Amino acid sequence: MILEQLAGNLFQGVVLGTVYGMATMGLSLIFGVLKVVNVGHGAFIMVGAFTSFAVFEYLGLSPVFAIPVAFGIGMVLGMIFYYSSIRRLLKGPELASLLATFSFGVILEEGIKFLFTSDFRGFNWDLGKIDMGFTVLPYAKMAACLGSVAIAVLLYLWFNKTRAGMAMRSVVEDGVGARVCGVNVDWIYALSFSLGIGLTVASGVLLTMFVSVGIQPYMGGEYTLKAFVIAVLGGLSSPYGAFFGGIVFGLLENGSYTLFARIPGLEPFAMTRFFSFLILLLILLLRPTGLLKAK
Amino acid sequence: MKGASRYLPAIPVLLAYAALFGFGLLHPEKWQLVAQLAFYCALGQAFNLFMGMTGYVDFGYVAFLGIGTYGMAISISGLADKGLGLGVIGIGLILSVVFAVLLSLAVGAVALRLRGAYFAIATIGVNEGFRYLIEGARIWNGSEGIIFSSHLRELVGREAAMSLSTFWADVMVFGVAVIATVLTIVYMRGKIGYALAALRMDEDAAKVMGINVTRFKIIAFITSAALAGLLGATAWAVKLTYVYPADVFGIHYTVEAIIIVLLGGAGTLLGPIVGGLIYGVSKYYLAVYLPGFQLLVFAPVIVAVIVLFPEGTAGMVKRKLLGTALEKYIL
Repeated sequence: MILEQLAGNLFQGVVLGTVYGMATMGLSLIFGVLKVVNVGHGAFIMVGAFTSFAVFEYLGLSPVFAIPVAFGIGMVLGMIFYYSSIRRLLKGPELASLLATFSFGVILEEGIKFLFTSDFRGFNWDLGKIDMGFTVLPYAKMAACLGSVAIAVLLYLWFNKTRAGMAMRSVVEDGVGARVCGVNVDWIYALSFSLGIGLTVASGVLLTMFVSVGIQPYMGGEYTLKAFVIAVLGGLSSPYGAFFGGIVFGLLENGSYTLFARIPGLEPFAMTRFFSFLILLLILLLRPTGLLKAK
Repeated sequence: MKGASRYLPAIPVLLAYAALFGFGLLHPEKWQLVAQLAFYCALGQAFNLFMGMTGYVDFGYVAFLGIGTYGMAISISGLADKGLGLGVIGIGLILSVVFAVLLSLAVGAVALRLRGAYFAIATIGVNEGFRYLIEGARIWNGSEGIIFSSHLRELVGREAAMSLSTFWADVMVFGVAVIATVLTIVYMRGKIGYALAALRMDEDAAKVMGINVTRFKIIAFITSAALAGLLGATAWAVKLTYVYPADVFGIHYTVEAIIIVLLGGAGTLLGPIVGGLIYGVSKYYLAVYLPGFQLLVFAPVIVAVIVLFPEGTAGMVKRKLLGTALEKYIL
């Protein structure tokens, strides 16, 4: 019984974890290229969730259409934030870019609250569900999982087959060298920043498949913390590391939930969140380079 | 700088607090605003003591205020029937500092080993993580929190409990502000201030010069946390007489602390007071015209401050007064 429950939860963990992984790739991409930590990460996910909600509720379209819309919104937001401030802060102390991205998050949260109020919203994209014996998985979640894999593959192709993608990798490896070889580093920074934000906002659409009534302006904080745990698991500067970190995190989260739920006197939901914070501290302390890379 | 003259910059700060306090006494109808302003100034000073002096951003700072609030709440609710009278408030203050220091040691043990961005990442979950520990393991009543207004009445009587919450709690906040001022100037004018200034400029170079940067970072971190604990115990616990984990670990207090310090000027003595007054007064009036959306106004302001004048108001004033007779009063 417990094993079946655990297996079911772990399977759900992989499905959710894949989406978590995709939701963290943007954070790692931005850190990898610009060495800027997007502390407002969760707020961008929230914007994606609201995009998904608006496309579904107001336009009556499938959330699939919300993905390109969200990606576009993210790209535009990324460009605006990059050229208005991030660009001028790259040479300054780390504190400046940290506080700036943090403020972007607050701007988005308060802006969305202004437009949509702080009520909880949600929608249900009902495609039916599949009974796998040990667990039941709605097709919508399955679609989100497959969508995440598809986006990760697209990003891989982008990095390996396009000029801009390869230029980004060259900047990560050696910024000065890339500049010498004629790479427009400033433009690569702008592109990476907005690509990262675009991916993050798009991931918000996919995540709405997992939160049926949790769409709210302040929903992002939780994802900021999770994304940091995942990014650190994956080594912080590698989008693929983040993708696998997401799957590991999904497993850890659901596995620990099953465990905490069996200990009397504990609130499993809150304990799981505390647990993820503990993982973050432990990894930062023991393996700051991530799980995959050797020290 | 030798002798007592190096402590002169404390004068304008203490005068500002005295003026604010006097204004509050003369205009009782504005006392709430005055108390709020004192809280913001003190919060800014406490936060500045670490962030401003080291250049490290602690996004989980509010956790120290939260745990301080619990320190006072536990004292009052647990010792109300022991016949200790006002001594319980004193025990609560001590407990809140002890709690805040313990938490800062636990957080610092991990986070202070890390630099810059990694430090920020380690601290961003501290407040939420701690809140979920309290709720998840049902510590101190879990998510139901502690309501101790009846205990406070039992302790000192109805009248005294009333005046404690509406007046003396705020006076204690002024007290915390004065302590923060004194500590800040002693630190800034002492060895630790110079060490941290070196660290802020170039941590590696500071290390190579033989400065024990870790030690000074820890001292600043603990001091800043202890002041936060006192603020939680006074401005939140004694004033509100209840504590809910969802309230006292809310990240927007960290946001406010960041705004205040940046508006005023990070790493200066006068900055957090200037920032606290600007923020407090504008928030007060924005609450009238744009209720609930003060942060929508302040967040873009912060980006603008970071990009356009990162030294803040006090930093600009300091630069303007360089070479004049007033120079030695500004820090």
